[in-house]
Amino acid sequence: MAKQNVKRKRPLIGMSYQGALLALLVFLIVLFGLLEPVFFHPNVLFNVTAIIGEIGIMALAMTFIITTGGIDLSVGYILQLSAIVFGSVYGSSHSLAQAIAAAMLCATACGFLNGIIISKTKIPPLVTTLATMNLYRGLSMIVAGSQTYSGFPEGFKQISTINLFGIVPIQFTYFLVLFLAFALFYSKGTLGRNLKGIGFNEQVLVFSGINTKRSLLFIYTLCGFMCGLGALIYLGRLSAATTSMGNDLNLQVITAVVLGGTSIMGGIGSVAGTFIGVLIIGVLRKGFTLLNFSGNIFNFTLGVILIIALVAFALLEERKRTSQRRLKG
Amino acid sequence: MKHKRIFTRETILGLIVLAFMAYLSLTTNFASRNGFFSMMLDVSPTIVGAIAMSLVIFTGNIDISAGTILGFVSYTAGELAMSGAPMVLFVPAAIVVGMLIAGLNGWISVTFRVPSIVVTLAMNMVHLGFYATFLRNSGWIENLGDNFTWFGRGMFFNLVPYIFIVSLVVAAIFIFIMRYSKFGKTLYAVGGNRQAAIYAGINPDRTVIKVYLVEGFLLGIAGLLKAMTRSDVLPSSFQGREMTFIAAAVVGGVNIMGGSGKLIGALFGALLVYMLSTAMIYMGFQDYYQFALQGVIILIAVFITVTDFKALKHNLRHAFAAREGK
Repeated sequence: MAKQNVKRKRPLIGMSYQGALLALLVFLIVLFGLLEPVFFHPNVLFNVTAIIGEIGIMALAMTFIITTGGIDLSVGYILQLSAIVFGSVYGSSHSLAQAIAAAMLCATACGFLNGIIISKTKIPPLVTTLATMNLYRGLSMIVAGSQTYSGFPEGFKQISTINLFGIVPIQFTYFLVLFLAFALFYSKGTLGRNLKGIGFNEQVLVFSGINTKRSLLFIYTLCGFMCGLGALIYLGRLSAATTSMGNDLNLQVITAVVLGGTSIMGGIGSVAGTFIGVLIIGVLRKGFTLLNFSGNIFNFTLGVILIIALVAFALLEERKRTSQRRLKG
Repeated sequence: MKHKRIFTRETILGLIVLAFMAYLSLTTNFASRNGFFSMMLDVSPTIVGAIAMSLVIFTGNIDISAGTILGFVSYTAGELAMSGAPMVLFVPAAIVVGMLIAGLNGWISVTFRVPSIVVTLAMNMVHLGFYATFLRNSGWIENLGDNFTWFGRGMFFNLVPYIFIVSLVVAAIFIFIMRYSKFGKTLYAVGGNRQAAIYAGINPDRTVIKVYLVEGFLLGIAGLLKAMTRSDVLPSSFQGREMTFIAAAVVGGVNIMGGSGKLIGALFGALLVYMLSTAMIYMGFQDYYQFALQGVIILIAVFITVTDFKALKHNLRHAFAAREGK
């Protein structure tokens, strides 16, 4: 009985926060629509779901990582590196299969390196991924130099240019399918439970005989894999790989996850929240583009949103704690 | 227990730096006047910045926005100097700007209990966006006159730049502070064991805000030392400097988890990181290899600091003994 009570209570709190997020999303859409009426056009609205493909996919894996109290600052540069690898392998071999395999392998290896360092040594995730971020950035510059890879075949571009039913961008369906899978693993099954446990108190899980290191290694590798997928989708849309792509994706991904209500301290999180957070980021990006704001203003706004989200979440937690204390007397 | 070890981490580091210098002098033209001069010019801001970063790391925090704070500092100094302000005016103004911006990082992190790395990461983006959005020409200032550059370009005996002396003096003062003052001890205490620090009567929150203010002060100096050598200022060009500072600090043995390390180590670390990148340039690598190098340096240095080698040795010996026993 008691267990059921707890279970029923949790989503209620989660829902109210996600409800607020949804309200924010609708508010932003209406706001941009009023400022620039073309925003309400279905093509534009669906285009929002096209441009969030890659950050959405990375944000799902990032939700898992942040739930454990970790972080991955290198996602943008893993994406960049695997896109560059894709470009250079395709440029030399002209084989799409080889290029895709190389890009995915590279991204997964990058994630694996993060994971192995974080799980096997005592170096904190923040520092590890800060260092590997520079490493991957350097590597992609070393591979590419000042080159830009382009001229990918039309068949490849279709992985992110087709519209289903003539209107729904195909990236959005990838994101949706992966979202459902991640949400399932997050709320049901042992993996999600272990991740939240690691975020709350890793020591307790270790003492209960759970191999937390394996879970950590798995999710960081998974995150690398997702960055590889993101790179392919991104490339299909942009059709050119340069060393400037992916530079500011880190912040977008982290902002989406934190905005979605995943605590940066770990232990609490919501994949559905991340989904809405990603949509909010997409709406902002599209709206800013339509209003002719520069990318710098977008990044500035994102930084401010991230700080506000962090602060708001901290304040909410504080209030919850004090109200609980009052209830206890 | 009284006898002092001669081969501490810092002396070994110093010897490595000397060996590296000797190697570079023998294999390249590093030993010439130009080699030494450009080293002193380049390494001065890094020394001051590495000390600033080390102080923050001592308390178990970090500042990813250090590089972009330098941009604000140099912009303030450049803008004021452009409008004809004398050095006694723009130097303190720039330092105050550095203190305010860094202090804001510390205040947000402490008040709302948010990890400093995430706050400063977001701030890094906010700063960059701020330059581009709110500053004229993205903060680019050119044709600065002698009233701005005389100090940065000045030198004693036509060899030792003023700024190098400034950085050494700053380093000496802070090494002294960390060793003998109460403030220095509180930094180690807060980073080492927060709970114990509270029981010892230290207010960790106040200490962290204070250390960010001091960091801002030092970053102000570092930004000025860098900016005043040139007649133009571009704030966004400072992005990424924080990685050099962090690399210098961790190479110097500053524990990234907080609580231990020495500033003299950070000083040697700054020299070593400079020497490594110079060596790479002499060997003909493009400068973008620096990113990869810094990442690897940080990983290795942190690994060495964080790993408990005694325990590792002990465990390995037991593992081998167990295997042989079978």
